[in-house]
Amino acid sequence: MKVIKQSRWGGKSSIRLLLAAATIAGGGTLIAVTGGVSSASTVPHKASKVVTLHFWNAYNDVTETPVMNGIVIPAFEAANPGIRVVDDTLPYAGLLDKFIASSAAGDPPDLMRSDIAWVPQLASEGTLLETSKQPWFAKVAKEADPGPLSTNLYKGGYYGLPDDTNTQVFFWNHKDFAAAHLSPPTTWNQMIADAKILTIPNKGQHGLGVDSTDIWNVGPYVWTDGGNFTNKALTTSTGYMDGAATTRAVTTLVNLYKAGDIGSDFVGGSGSISGETGFPLGEYAMYFDGPWAPTTYKADGFKGYSTALLPKGPGGSISVVGGEDLVIAKGGKHLADTIKFVQFLQSPFAQLSMADAGDMAAYKTDNGPEGVLNPALRIFAKQLLTARARPVFQNYGELDTDFSNELALMLAGKIGVSAGLQIATREANKTFK
Amino acid sequence: MSTVNSLERHPASAPPGAVSRRSARSHRVRRFATPYLLLVPALVMYAVFTVYPIFRQFDISFFNWHIFPGMSSPSVGWSNYTAIFSDPVVRTASWNSFLFIVITVPIQMAIGLFAAAILTDRLPGSMFWRAAVYIPVVTSWVVVSWVFSYIFASEGGIMNAIAGFFAGHTESINWTAQPWTADGVIWLLSIWKGVGWSFIIFLAALDGIPRELLESARTDGASGTRVWKHVVLPSIRGALTFVVVLLVIGAAQVFTQVYEITKAGPYNSTQTLMTYMYQQAFSNFAFGYAAALASLLAVVLFGFSAAEIRILRRQDI
Repeated sequence: MKVIKQSRWGGKSSIRLLLAAATIAGGGTLIAVTGGVSSASTVPHKASKVVTLHFWNAYNDVTETPVMNGIVIPAFEAANPGIRVVDDTLPYAGLLDKFIASSAAGDPPDLMRSDIAWVPQLASEGTLLETSKQPWFAKVAKEADPGPLSTNLYKGGYYGLPDDTNTQVFFWNHKDFAAAHLSPPTTWNQMIADAKILTIPNKGQHGLGVDSTDIWNVGPYVWTDGGNFTNKALTTSTGYMDGAATTRAVTTLVNLYKAGDIGSDFVGGSGSISGETGFPLGEYAMYFDGPWAPTTYKADGFKGYSTALLPKGPGGSISVVGGEDLVIAKGGKHLADTIKFVQFLQSPFAQLSMADAGDMAAYKTDNGPEGVLNPALRIFAKQLLTARARPVFQNYGELDTDFSNELALMLAGKIGVSAGLQIATREANKTFK
Repeated sequence: MSTVNSLERHPASAPPGAVSRRSARSHRVRRFATPYLLLVPALVMYAVFTVYPIFRQFDISFFNWHIFPGMSSPSVGWSNYTAIFSDPVVRTASWNSFLFIVITVPIQMAIGLFAAAILTDRLPGSMFWRAAVYIPVVTSWVVVSWVFSYIFASEGGIMNAIAGFFAGHTESINWTAQPWTADGVIWLLSIWKGVGWSFIIFLAALDGIPRELLESARTDGASGTRVWKHVVLPSIRGALTFVVVLLVIGAAQVFTQVYEITKAGPYNSTQTLMTYMYQQAFSNFAFGYAAALASLLAVVLFGFSAAEIRILRRQDI
């Protein structure tokens, strides 16, 4: 049970890794873990003063928080008697605002688990510690999966470390497909055709569920259909967001929505039923979702579904890279202890513990074992190989809003697809300045 | 007595008249200074939390402001202000804020005055109804915004059930995802929650009208409408002005209910000046631009408040 001493900065041992996997797979309890800690530790020096670290996050309180608070943090505290970690779980919608306000006031949390989309924006404001300037960074960077690592990049420097990664895969409902005598689609065109067949208005059933008009939800539809939002250099959207392939992809979505083949979750509004909620209830026969969904369905006892890679379209099978990074506030008061906790969160022990809660590990050595621990994650790992990151730059939020608002106008019939995309492109181009 | 005491406290060499004058002066100074000394804590608070932020906000509006300590903020002159006038979202937000004022303020005042007129008499149960009208005022904006979201939910919302029962709607209405219905939900909540405030002001104003005045008007044969037109409304003119001014200022700053119910969507259609300001500052980190917006709004509201003071003075209220 020496596993919790394992870190990406310290020694490596595949035996320790397997022990970690075995502990978690066997339902390792807090007692088991902390027991392991005390036996593993050399005589722990008695801490004269306890340092309290504040760790802000937006963990799901059903799947992730119990693991973080019940296994990961207690194990860290047991191994580091002088450090106490307070897990401040905040609503996702308020996390960024609160971080900005507290950082501006000179009282930021020691550590935040940030949405990957926020990192360049926060880095541009000078509020984050530049991790790539730390002596231990090179080793971590080498072990991290390149995709998640790249989300920390801002103007040639890295301002965070990957915590977990995710993507969306294709979910299909067994009962709905059986009733329609369909087999799951393997091509994009087949999926679009199936969406129409699987829409049964008098049952309140829609062929597809799409949760919102933002790029996280719409991106896979655009990329798989061969479209894009920007060029690679992130200098323009002209010819991409308003390009022929993107126009075709968006037109398909708008037409599906207008025909009722996509549910009202697409436009949002109070009471609209998300894909994750509506899928088990029969509201949506197909939808895309992340690795947290199987964990939730397992907890709810819902088994009548399967997952698959996104059906292939003209652009391939392109999903979206999601996930979170760990960012250290520049004005944090306990930098050395915070780094210790960050190291622990990146250890195979913590990464694999959280994988059991649906958080995919962001480090190469953990990608294999997590699939053993949580087989539901395998398909996501496979999809990640072709997944694409949303534009990584500080004004991504504005670009996303520009696109999302225009798409909402198209869905409301206030503007045509081409005209809407041209406006979105014009606005998006302003964000590159 | 004070002269005797003063003499006892001062050296014997001092001439009694001079001591007495000095004591009187010190007494006058104390009398003059005491109220100001008592005001000092409030003035300090006002200066720190109101005056300073206002001037700081004007200052920030001329920079590409970076809020985090240690970051440089380049000066941009008036460009934040000029950008406001070419921003289409500002136009939408201004229109929505204006619409919010012209719709919610008169309705709140009308219902508040009507309720006050009914409940001003000591009727049986009037205390209960007064409390019932006022209770929404003390509820939390966030909580009632969520309650209204549930009432107007597209799936399972009670309003859709009512629409289905009375109007025969078979398809559920996605109230908060369509511009006009979303606006309607926000207006309705704001009116429901705000009526109690104008009600309580009007109630106090109506209670302050001398009974003799009303009775003599009736004795002279004035009808109910004429009593209201020529006696009641002129008597509560001050309260009417006070309510309209404060409601307009409050309405111009509408934020919580919009943010909670629609997040200013769909596609900015329910955006108001305050929600846009917040979005610019905390989502886009455009603090200078947000400060410029806030400054312009402050100027408009300051102008309105100045007008209020002039009206109140003219009416000797």
